[in-house]
Amino acid sequence: MPRPVVMPKLGQSEEEGTLVRWLKKEGDGVAKGDVLFEIETDKALLEVESFFEGILLKIVVPEGQTVPVQTTVAFIGDPGEAVPEITVPAAKPGKGEGPRASAKVSEHPPVAAAGGEAQARAGRRIARERVPRPQERPSPPPAHPEAPSIFKISPRAARLAEECAVDPKVIVGTGPGGRIVEKDVSSYLDTKGYAHLRVTPTAKNLARKEGIDLFNLQPSDDGGRIGVADIETALAERPKPMGRMRRVIAQRLAESFRSAPHFFVTVSADLTELDSFRKELKSKGVSYTVTDFILKAVAATLEGFPAVNSTTDGEKIWWHSRIDLGLAVALEQGLVVPVLRNANKLTLADIHEQATELTARARAGKLTPGEMTGSTFTISNMGMLDVENFTAIINPGESAILAVSSLAKHPVVRDDRVVIRSLMKMTLSSDHRIIDGALAARFLNAIRNKLEEISLWRRLV
Amino acid sequence: MEAFGVVVIGAGPGGYPAAIRAAQLGASVALVEKEDLGGTCLNWGCIPTKCLISSSDLYARVKSAGTMGLKVEGASFDYAAMSDRKDQVVRTLRNGVKQLLKANVVKVFQGTASFQGRNRILVSPEAASAASSSEPVVIGADKTIIATGTSSAMPAFLPRHARVLESRAFLSLKSLPSSVLVLGGGVIGCEFACMLGQLGARVTVVELLEDILWGLDADVRRELRRHMEKTLGVRILTGGTLEDVSADERRVRGRVGTEWVEADVLLAAFGRKSTAEQLQLENAGLGVDERGFIAVDEYGRTQVATIYAVGDVTGGPFLAHAATSQGLVAAENACRRHLRRNETCVASCIFTSPEIGTVGLSEQEAQHQGRKIKTGKFMLGALGKALAIGEPMGFVKWVADAETDQLLGAHAIGPHATGLIAEAAVAIRAELTAAELARTVHAHPTLAEAWMEAAHALRDEPIHTIPERTRAKAGDQ
Repeated sequence: MPRPVVMPKLGQSEEEGTLVRWLKKEGDGVAKGDVLFEIETDKALLEVESFFEGILLKIVVPEGQTVPVQTTVAFIGDPGEAVPEITVPAAKPGKGEGPRASAKVSEHPPVAAAGGEAQARAGRRIARERVPRPQERPSPPPAHPEAPSIFKISPRAARLAEECAVDPKVIVGTGPGGRIVEKDVSSYLDTKGYAHLRVTPTAKNLARKEGIDLFNLQPSDDGGRIGVADIETALAERPKPMGRMRRVIAQRLAESFRSAPHFFVTVSADLTELDSFRKELKSKGVSYTVTDFILKAVAATLEGFPAVNSTTDGEKIWWHSRIDLGLAVALEQGLVVPVLRNANKLTLADIHEQATELTARARAGKLTPGEMTGSTFTISNMGMLDVENFTAIINPGESAILAVSSLAKHPVVRDDRVVIRSLMKMTLSSDHRIIDGALAARFLNAIRNKLEEISLWRRLV
Repeated sequence: MEAFGVVVIGAGPGGYPAAIRAAQLGASVALVEKEDLGGTCLNWGCIPTKCLISSSDLYARVKSAGTMGLKVEGASFDYAAMSDRKDQVVRTLRNGVKQLLKANVVKVFQGTASFQGRNRILVSPEAASAASSSEPVVIGADKTIIATGTSSAMPAFLPRHARVLESRAFLSLKSLPSSVLVLGGGVIGCEFACMLGQLGARVTVVELLEDILWGLDADVRRELRRHMEKTLGVRILTGGTLEDVSADERRVRGRVGTEWVEADVLLAAFGRKSTAEQLQLENAGLGVDERGFIAVDEYGRTQVATIYAVGDVTGGPFLAHAATSQGLVAAENACRRHLRRNETCVASCIFTSPEIGTVGLSEQEAQHQGRKIKTGKFMLGALGKALAIGEPMGFVKWVADAETDQLLGAHAIGPHATGLIAEAAVAIRAELTAAELARTVHAHPTLAEAWMEAAHALRDEPIHTIPERTRAKAGDQ
C-alpha cells in the first residue's frame, strides 16, 4: 500500500508550511534520506528528507501551496500501485484568492509505520517526514471557503461563461436576487463583441483550463489573434502569493518604517590603512573580512551609547545590557538576520569565526529560528555589491541600523594635496523617537574613529 | 557615389525576394551578387538536386512498373542528359529571377561586396569577369540587408583530389560514378545517397553521429534508414569517423573503425560555412559570433541599426524558405517603421526516397522540454490512396500537448510527404488542437486523409486502425 508523506511540523508554533519546491518528480525512485521537497517557514527554508524507499507515485500538493502541518503532500510506494483518491479542493488561481489563502488538503489516514523513529528525529534541523499516530487524525477541512454568498449564477450561465473563457463575476445578473442567468451571459458576450474576438483553439483551451478571461487579453500577434503566447503572458502576470519569508519581511519592515520616524546620517571612513593591514594579515595566512572589523568596531562603540542599543514602544525606552549584533544576509528569496550574541565580549578572531559560520548556514537555509531573533542592533553590509551608499530600514525592536557600502578608491584632500584613499560610506538609520541627530553623529563618528585607528587593530589582532 | 535606400548583398532565396519587396515598398534598391542570381538554392542546391532526384525517382518507378501492371522493357538512363535537363531548369529559373528584378526596378551589381563604412559598400568585380564589368565601385546604402548565405565546406582532413568532391562540384559531373562514398548522413548526404542508389550506384554513407538525419523524430529516422538499406541497398555506417582518406587515379579509400571502404568518388556532404568574413563587417562596426555567423533578433536586426541580415549567414536553420521569409521581414522593417517578427513555425522537407516532411517539435524534443505529450500515428499502408498509387509506405505522426491538446509537431515520411507537411504547418501555426484537426473533413481518397486519421489515433479514437491505447507520455519517460 502506498505510504503518505506529510507536511512536517517544524516548531511549536508552526501550524502550516509552504511547499516551495519538489526535488523529485512523480515516477522518480526515492531512497531513504533523499531530499523530497523544500518547505519554507517564516524563518528559513528547510529540506524534507524521505523516510521511505520506493517510487514517488503521486504529488498531491504542488509547489507554492501552503498547507496545514500533517497534510498528505505525496505518496510513496511500489511501481504501479494505485494511489488513494485524495481531493484537493481546487485553490482556483485568480478567483479572489487573497495572499494568505491556503489550499486545504483533505487527510488520508496514514499507516502508522515506524512512527517512533520518525519522531525521534523531530528535533533535527533538517525536518524529516513524520507519520502521525492513528488517533491524531486532524479534523476535516472546512467546507468550501470560497464563493462569497453575494455571487449567484445559474449552472447553465456558469457553463456558458466557462466555455467562452470569460469571468462571470463582472456580469450583472437580472435573475432573482441578482442571480446571473444564461441570458445575462449571452447578452454580455454580444455587447462586449465576443464574436469578433479571434482566439486560436489551443489558446481558448488553455484560457478555460487556467481560468483566464479572454476579454482581458491583448493579442500580440500581427493578425490581432489571441494565441498561446498571450495566455502565457497573462499567466506570468498573475498575482502570486508571497513566500512566507517575503510576507514576514513585508509585514515587519512596513511596520518598522511606519512606526519609527527614520532619519539618516552618512560618514565616509578612510579604510586605506585598515585594508592594507587586512591584506598584510591575509598574506600571513590570517584572514579577516572588512565585516569582521566593522562588527568589532560597532560592538565596542555601542558600549558607550546605550541609547543606540535600545528598544522603544513610543512611551518607554528599554536599554539593553547585552549587545547582540544582527548581521543581515541576503538570500535568493529574501534576507535573514543571524545574531552574534554578546558581540562586545568577543575577540576579533571569535567574531570572524562566528560570523563566517552563521553566514554560511544562513545561505544554506539552515539557521534555527532561535539564531535569528533577539538582536539589539543590526548591520547591513552591501560592500560586496558595489554600491556608493544606501540606507536601511531599522529592524523592528531596535533603535538604529548601520548600512555599510563598498570600499572604493577616491581622490581625497589631505594636507592640501589630492591623494588616493580607500573610503567606505556608512549610513546610520535612527529612530528619531530615541535618537537625535547629534547622538547619531557622535555614534557614527566614534565607529569611524575606531575603524581608522590602525594602532587599535594592531593591538586587537 | 550612387546611393540607394536599400542595398541587398546576395541574390539567393533570402536576398532577391528582400530586394523585390523593398522595391515594392518604394525604396531605391541595389542587389549585389558575386556569382549567379538565385544563389545556392537555385543554382547548386535545392533546384538542381530536385531535378536529378525527379529523374532518378521516375527511373526507379519505371523499373518497378511491373507491379502496377505495366510492361516496360529495357529501361535505362543517360546521366549526361539528366544533368543537361537540370541545367536547363536552372537556366529557366535564373532568367525568371532576372526578369522579376528588372520588372521591380532593382539594380543588380555583379561583384563581391564589402563594407567600407556602415553606409558605404565596395563592389569588386570577380577576377574572372573583370574584363566585362570594369572597375570596382562604391555605392551608398541607407539600409543594408546581408543575405550572403553559406558555402559548402570542404573539411581540411580530406585530400584535395579530383575524386573528392563537395555537393556543388558533384552536381557538375557529366557521368554517374559507379560507386560513391558519402561522407555525412545529413540532409544533403541522404538525398544524394537515395538518388544515386535509385540509379544503381553502390553507395556507402559514413556518419559521425549515432544515426543519419540526427535531430529528426526517431520513428522517421528508423523508417528512412530501413528503406535506404533494404530497398536502395545503401550501406550506412554510423557512429564512426572516416579516417586515413586517400585518393588516386582509380579510387578513393578510407577507414571507418577497422573497416576499409572505397569508391570511385567521395562526396563530402557535411556542414556549411559562413560567408560573412569576406564582407569586412568590422568596417561597419559589426562582428560575428564564434561560429562566424551574424547574430540577429527576430526582426532581422543586427547590432548596427541600419544593417539587417537574413538566411544562412545568420546561423540557420539553413532552409531556403526560412531565408525568404526572413528576407521579406527584413525588407519591411528596413522600409517601414512598424516591425514584423519572423515566423518561427518553419517546415523542413527532405527529398530522400521516401520523402520526409517535418514541422514543429519531434517527440524527443517535446520530451526534452519536459512537456507532457501524446502522439498519434497513421501508417500509409492502411490508406486507400497510398495503396492505389502503389506506394503504401511510411506514416504520418502528430505530437500534441497532453493537457491543452495543442498540435506541437508533425512528421511525415512516405509518398508526397514534402507536400503533405504544408497542412500540418498551417495547423500548428494556427495553434489548432488535435480535436479540431480530427474534426476537419478531409477529402477521400487522398494521402492527406492520413493527418485526420492520425489525429483520431492521437485521441484514442482511430477509425482505420486497430485501437491501441495511446498513453499520455510524460516528458521524463
